[in-house]
Amino acid sequence: MTGDRSEWEPKIVGFLCNWCSYAGADLAGQSRLEYPPNVKIIRVPCSGRVNPLFVLKCLSSGVDGVLISGCHTGDCHYSEGNFHARRRFTILRKLFEYLGIDPKRFQMAWVSASEADKWAKLVKGLVEEIRQAGPNKLGHR
Amino acid sequence: MSEELKNKAKELLTNKKVDLIIGYQRAADGVLAAPCFIDSQDDAEKLIWDSYCVYNLASYLKDFPAKRKGIVVKVCDLKSITVLLQENQVKREELLIIAASCPGVIDEKRLNPLDQQAQEIVFAGKCKTCKTITPAYYDILINEPQKNDKLSEIGQDEYEPVRKLEAKSIEERFKFWESEFSRCIRCYACRQICPLCYCPKCVAEQITPGYFSKGVNLEGNLSWNITRAMHLAGRCIDCGECERACPVGIPLRDINKKIEKEIKELFKYEAGLSVEQKPLLSCFDKSDPEDFIK
Repeated sequence: MTGDRSEWEPKIVGFLCNWCSYAGADLAGQSRLEYPPNVKIIRVPCSGRVNPLFVLKCLSSGVDGVLISGCHTGDCHYSEGNFHARRRFTILRKLFEYLGIDPKRFQMAWVSASEADKWAKLVKGLVEEIRQAGPNKLGHR
Repeated sequence: MSEELKNKAKELLTNKKVDLIIGYQRAADGVLAAPCFIDSQDDAEKLIWDSYCVYNLASYLKDFPAKRKGIVVKVCDLKSITVLLQENQVKREELLIIAASCPGVIDEKRLNPLDQQAQEIVFAGKCKTCKTITPAYYDILINEPQKNDKLSEIGQDEYEPVRKLEAKSIEERFKFWESEFSRCIRCYACRQICPLCYCPKCVAEQITPGYFSKGVNLEGNLSWNITRAMHLAGRCIDCGECERACPVGIPLRDINKKIEKEIKELFKYEAGLSVEQKPLLSCFDKSDPEDFIK
C-alpha cells in the first residue's frame, strides 16, 4: 500500500446477502456487465447477519468504504432479517455522522437477484463517492 | 426521610421479607455516599438518603442471584431495572423496590472539596432536565414525590449539548471526538459501572475474533466507544453513570443522548418505559425510515 494519492484506489468491502445481492452481483458478472473492481465481496447468509462490529473492523483496518446489501424489504429469505438490519444500521450511520466519520464510507442497498444493472450502477456510484471522500485515515494499515 | 427508610429496612429484615437491602451509606470522607449491602437489622442504621446518593445501585443486582433483594432506587435507576426485567436479567419476584422521592443528585465532579457547607448544590446534568418524579412502579414508597424547584428549569432542552455538536461541520466533530477519545485509557470504567453492560465476556476482551485493538490508540479508542454506544442503543436510560465514572472526563452522555434523540425521532422509542415493551433492536416496524438505503 503506497501513500501516494495518485496511485490510491478506493478499497471497499461489500457484505452481500446470499439470497439476493450475491446472486445479483453474480448475474452482473454472467451478463458481462462492466463495473469497477474495487468492491471485495463477503458473502453472508442475510443482511441481518452483519454485526456493526464487522463494519467497525473494516473501517479501523483501513478499508475506505463498507457496503451492506440485502434483499428488498419483504423479500428476505428469513422473512425479517433485513428489517432488523435496517434498524440497526440506521442508528450506526447516525452515530458515525455524529462522531465525524464521513457517512459516505458506510452505505446500504437493497439489490435483488435479478437487479444486475442496479448492482453495476451502485458500485460505479459508490466508488465515485468514496474516491471523493479520499483515503480512510482512521485505520492502521 | 432517612429515618423512614431505616425503619422500613429494619421492618423488612426482621420479617424476613428480604435477604438483603442494597442502599447507600455515608462514605468514609463524611460527605459523599457509598453503596452498602445490609443483611441484619442492626446494620440498617447505616442507611442514608439525600442528594449525595448518586450511584445507580441496579448494577449490583446481578451479583446476588437467587436472593430476595431490597433495593433503594431513584426514578432514573428504576428505569434501568425496567430494562433488566425486560431482558430477563433479574426476576421481579426476587426484587423489592424501595422507591425514594428524589431531591436531585449532586454533580460529584463539581463538588467543592474546600467548602463542604456550601449552600448551592451543583446538580448533575441529568437532574437538571429530569421530567419524571413519580416512579412507574414500586413496592414501597419513601416520602411522597415532590418537585424540587431548583430542578427541571422549564424550557431547558435536554438535547442542547447534542444540538450544539450537530451544528458543527463533520470535520470539526471528528476533531472534537478525536481529542476527547485520545484521553481514553481503556480502563473500561464506563462498562463496569453500567447497570446494563452485563455480558459475562465483553467483546472488548475477546480475542478470537478480536474486533478492535486493545491498545490505547485512535482506532482502538474510537472503536471501543462506538461499540459501547451501539450496545446501549435503545437500552440506555441516561443514568449518567458512565460519564461520572470516566476518570478522564469524556462526555459519554453526549453520545448516549444523541442515540436516544435519534431513536425517539426515527422509531418513536424510548428505553425503560415499561417491562412489556420489546427491546428496540429485537423488533422492527415495516415502515421504519430507510432514506439512506439505495
